[in-house]
Amino acid sequence: MTVDLTVDLGGLKLRNPVMPASGCFGFGREYSEYYSLDTLGAVVVKATTLKPRLGNPTPRVTEVTGGMLNAIGLANPGLSKVLTEELPWLERQNVPIFVNVAGDTVEDYCSVVDEVCRSGLAQAIELNVSCPNVELGGLAFGVNSSVLRGLVEEVRKVCTLPLYVKLSPNVTRIQDLAVAAASGGADGLSLINTLVGMQIDLATRKPALANKTGGLSGPAIKPVAVRMVYEVAREVNLPIVGMGGICSGRDVAEFIMAGAWAVEVGTANFTDPYACPRIVAELKSFMEAEGIKNLEEIRGCAL
Amino acid sequence: MLVKESKQLTRDVFALTLEGQFDYDKVTAGRFVHVLIEDGKAHPLRRPISIASCDSHAKTLTLVYRVVGDGTLWLSKRIRGDTVSLLGPLGKGFVAPHKPGKVLIVGGGVGVPPLFQLAKELVQENFELDIVLGFRSQGDVFWTEEFAQFGRVTVCTEDGSLGEKGFVTAVIDVTNDWTTLYSCGPKAMLKALRNHFAGSTIQGYVSLEERMACGVGACWGCTCLDPSGSLAKRICKEGPVFSWEEVSL
Repeated sequence: MTVDLTVDLGGLKLRNPVMPASGCFGFGREYSEYYSLDTLGAVVVKATTLKPRLGNPTPRVTEVTGGMLNAIGLANPGLSKVLTEELPWLERQNVPIFVNVAGDTVEDYCSVVDEVCRSGLAQAIELNVSCPNVELGGLAFGVNSSVLRGLVEEVRKVCTLPLYVKLSPNVTRIQDLAVAAASGGADGLSLINTLVGMQIDLATRKPALANKTGGLSGPAIKPVAVRMVYEVAREVNLPIVGMGGICSGRDVAEFIMAGAWAVEVGTANFTDPYACPRIVAELKSFMEAEGIKNLEEIRGCAL
Repeated sequence: MLVKESKQLTRDVFALTLEGQFDYDKVTAGRFVHVLIEDGKAHPLRRPISIASCDSHAKTLTLVYRVVGDGTLWLSKRIRGDTVSLLGPLGKGFVAPHKPGKVLIVGGGVGVPPLFQLAKELVQENFELDIVLGFRSQGDVFWTEEFAQFGRVTVCTEDGSLGEKGFVTAVIDVTNDWTTLYSCGPKAMLKALRNHFAGSTIQGYVSLEERMACGVGACWGCTCLDPSGSLAKRICKEGPVFSWEEVSL
């Protein structure tokens, strides 16, 4: 049986639904030494801000059971270098590019989105309104429905590419934020970002991360992410890119059944540098074994 | 790779010798491997451990590490014949001395292991070595005799229970004519060393340690800053070995 892994995200065609998640894959160069990036559905690059950012003090990553906490703090080389050094290289790898965009102000977000769209180097924008590790921006835009809607409306005015809004799980009802993003003009939603957590180092008797709190990711958060994808899929009729602890092809199938159209893989890349292509192969095997011809056949079947 | 031998060196330091397929040709002193704990399900992050010794003819690799948590505890319980998954060798190792002459090697605690492979490589290239190894206490001391085959070894302990009493800087005479200094250990030791040699023409290299996630330069989890504080360097990619004037300690 031949299975069709392609996904049509509102006109943007992906060869499969698996993409590395923002922040876990840099701009693709490092993992391209392990495999060809054209085996991926797309690449979601590291959050890009108007000015370069150094991020938070170290330690800024630590392991917890079944997951990890990170408080990188949006370290990135800044828009100018991303446009001149990173994206032109990535474009040559023959894989669609989602540029994850973060900012401190509405104007920041709009400037970055505008320039990325004009560069012609990206196929979609993922608006990061859910970084838990920075004071300004990020999460400040992602936890209040009217603030989020206002931001998405402004970005929409300059955004000529498909606009995905990446939602935070650190809210009471994620569906409300999903509805706000949709009414602001989003073309799709990606969820979830990390959950705010903390670990105490027993030797120093202080938080293990210099930032004290960090974002929890990895297999430990998968049930939360599946639940949230399910809840959003029931209320909003937009393509959903699901993520949170995906480590296998079966995990992808679970997200698709909960209503996701495509998925992002984050922490699993650290455990296994070949995680993404392995997951694509596993998904294919799963579909063959289950007699599933294409992803649409199971998309949202659990709803 | 397969476990050939696991040996306890001190209360909490272990030496793990692995054999089998590995990119031995790419090993240079100071590079590290990223070790998978169990199948990675409970422990999604690999553990970065420096290469203490590599024998490309016998096809063995030795890692020396301290047990600090569940992951390294699991590693310490591997026995001959068990499989351990490694990624690497990763990072940038030590650079050979730019000029001939005497070399000073300074290690502190579990910073000592990568200096063993380094000493081995430098002796093969006929450099004369002075080696200073610092530990907290007598019970923490390991491999001092193994190092003696490569040069003059001075051991010091913070409490004076073995060798000289005090920090490594107490036994290092800056007027000596070393051309190059290689060091690995706690950041406070590296910083004290650099200050100790302030104004000297010695070329210093430090190997830095940090919690890592990807180990390949993608996640920006393990960065350090340049002296101006305005440029980040990835310890796993641009490091872990840096010339001591290019990083802020």
